[in-house]
Amino acid sequence: MKKNGSIQPNTFPTTVTDGLRIYYITEGRFEWCINYQPHVFYPGDVALIMPGITFGCDNDVLKIGSFTWIQLAVQKQDNGHIQPGKWSGLSDMEATAIGKILLLNNLPALSRFNEVGKIIKCIHTELFGMEVAYQARVNHQIDELLIQITRKMTQQTHSIRDFPKTFTQLEVVLRQDLAHQWTVEEMAGLVGMGTTLFTEKVKSYSGFSPINYLINIRISEAIKLLKRADIKLTDIALDTGFYSSQHFSTTFKKLTGYRPSEFRKNHLRNI
Amino acid sequence: MKCIITIELGTNGIRVFAYDLSGRIIGSMKGHYPTFHTEPDHSEQDPEQIFITTLYVLKNILNEYIHPKKYEVASICFSASMHSVLAVDKNGNPLGYAITWADNRAKKEAQELRNSPLGKKLYEATGTPIHPMSPLVKIAWIRNNNKERFRLTSKFLSIKTYIIHQLTGEYIIDYSIASATGLMNIHTVNWEEDALQYAGITANQLAVPTPVFTAAGKLKKAYQQSLRLPAETKILIGSSDGCLATLGDGIIKGAGKASITIEDSGAVRVMGSTVLKDEQMRFFNYLLTDNCYVSGGPTNNGGNIFEWFTRQFGEFTNPFDMENSMQQLMEEVDNVPAGSDGLLFLPYLLGERAPIWNANARGAYFGLNIKHERRHFIRATIEGILYEIYSIGKTLGEQRSINSLSVNGSFGTIPFCSQLIADIFNKPVQVRQQFHSVSFGAWLLSVTEMGIYKSLDDAAQPVELPNVFKPNKQHHAVYADYFGIFEKLSTKLFDEFEAIGNLQKKYAHSNKIPIYDNP
Repeated sequence: MKKNGSIQPNTFPTTVTDGLRIYYITEGRFEWCINYQPHVFYPGDVALIMPGITFGCDNDVLKIGSFTWIQLAVQKQDNGHIQPGKWSGLSDMEATAIGKILLLNNLPALSRFNEVGKIIKCIHTELFGMEVAYQARVNHQIDELLIQITRKMTQQTHSIRDFPKTFTQLEVVLRQDLAHQWTVEEMAGLVGMGTTLFTEKVKSYSGFSPINYLINIRISEAIKLLKRADIKLTDIALDTGFYSSQHFSTTFKKLTGYRPSEFRKNHLRNI
Repeated sequence: MKCIITIELGTNGIRVFAYDLSGRIIGSMKGHYPTFHTEPDHSEQDPEQIFITTLYVLKNILNEYIHPKKYEVASICFSASMHSVLAVDKNGNPLGYAITWADNRAKKEAQELRNSPLGKKLYEATGTPIHPMSPLVKIAWIRNNNKERFRLTSKFLSIKTYIIHQLTGEYIIDYSIASATGLMNIHTVNWEEDALQYAGITANQLAVPTPVFTAAGKLKKAYQQSLRLPAETKILIGSSDGCLATLGDGIIKGAGKASITIEDSGAVRVMGSTVLKDEQMRFFNYLLTDNCYVSGGPTNNGGNIFEWFTRQFGEFTNPFDMENSMQQLMEEVDNVPAGSDGLLFLPYLLGERAPIWNANARGAYFGLNIKHERRHFIRATIEGILYEIYSIGKTLGEQRSINSLSVNGSFGTIPFCSQLIADIFNKPVQVRQQFHSVSFGAWLLSVTEMGIYKSLDDAAQPVELPNVFKPNKQHHAVYADYFGIFEKLSTKLFDEFEAIGNLQKKYAHSNKIPIYDNP
């Protein structure tokens, strides 16, 4: 917790860390730069600084006010995804989903978010009190913090008034990482919806279940790649998100009537 | 038992219907495909995704409704949005995405051509207004701005031509879609030499124009197997969404009827054996069959404007529930008198095509006084959208007598809107349920092709639409008074529209937001 009573030079230099930093403002007004973008924070607001992102303010001077913060050590995986450490009680799938949603939504300023203040305060009390089972309690609270932040972030990035726009944004994200084994939970989480509502809305808007819509995109992309002679079938299968070339071949044949190799032969005949 | 399948390749997705030979719907399904706006003026779709979606939905409808009941598919008839352009290489493989009707990249080409003597000549020959939507100027844009793609292009296709080529291997384009390319002479029914020259291409770079009844060759073996359809299943090329919506509404030549479509955007159309001539080049004239033209004017601002309004001011008690939120707003306006106590709305949020053809036009509420309430804004917004429809109908009425109207499309068929249309036009309105007219037009076309009817006129004649809305004379008098001011405002603000449009561009925070822009 920090209360800043006077303005002094060089007290708040711009920094980058490997941890996930969460700041909760309790008093005053702060103008901070996160990833070179200016943001203004008022009491009740939360600043979220992802690993490797620069954080500071224009002239390295901290304004008068107070805030609490916490830094979480997270694992960064080879593919750039982040995931909570071993302390977390989240299942692997949920942890991956949260990491992905935080990274993709990339919203560093969350407004009017008192819950975060309460959780940080609770963690603080537990750490100083060291009552029995305080470590488990703290771990629970940190998971809770991540869940709250993830949900708040998706709700703030997606208006509940415009499903077509939300769906378009989701489609763009899916296409950027088609190799990923997207789950319905992840897709729903990304746009701030529960899976039940999400599945229902996608079905009524697109005519397909979320997974079948995703298969549409995968096959369409695969067709494009099949029409180029320079990419191996196995690579196409994996790049477009199929488990194996066998899985790719079966799905492709079921939908188009052709095996991928036949399809390729037909379309490259004139070269 | 025989059945007919209709496939509509629309702006937001595909819609497939199965009918029996009496016109009863056996089943229907849809599938969405996305539109990409990678640049502010661009509007593109992935031809492979459209194709896969088509196969997927077709397969699903066959497996769910047709094969289990042992129906025999007599024909599969296509309809599609107009004005799309897809460049393919010598193997028929797409060079990039398909450019849709809503794409505005060719606005410079369109503006120059529209203001030239050649533009006027081409408009008269082809029936397509000179506008960025027209494939004519889109191809010219590719030639001017994308030289490598232009050089590699073996053919410029419409989306429908591409889908049918995937299914059967034929490169054909129906007269209706061809007549909306700006490249076909609607009088001689051949590619227009002057237009080809302007675009910088030859006739063999385009598909072969054929009548709307043409069967497009045999379904490829693989698709016969995966769809479980026999080789002799007829693939009918069909027509455009606009022409078929008009036909499906039972509009025939010389009967004094006009068809109004209001979906996201809208159009007013009539059918005749001659084209509409217009010095100001405001109308389109598209070809349905020999000597049968569908003429009219399109608007950019239809149901999408009321959706915009709902997104800003609707309740959204349930997340994403646009339908209920729109309905709640409409329930509030019952207590507002016709004419909204003098609050007028110009709906030009997306610029406008017919009748003012002004890309810079913008929206406005006019006549606001201290007594106006939220509910007045709601009613004024709906009235403004429909005044705009009327202004198209009024200019059409100068050349054709219109005695009755039929309305289709998701927004137009809302009973409140249908009644308002009857009142504003002072004509009876018949209603066809939403999403149905285009498919039904395709069904009429298919059964005519089978010989069940002698001609499309014969087929369309028995189309009896339910729900007649009769005009309310008192309301009409009020609307007529207010419309006079609406009409004046729509042109009077010309300079200010341009000025504000320029400032909006100048101070735009994000150039990712496309602002509709026609010449």
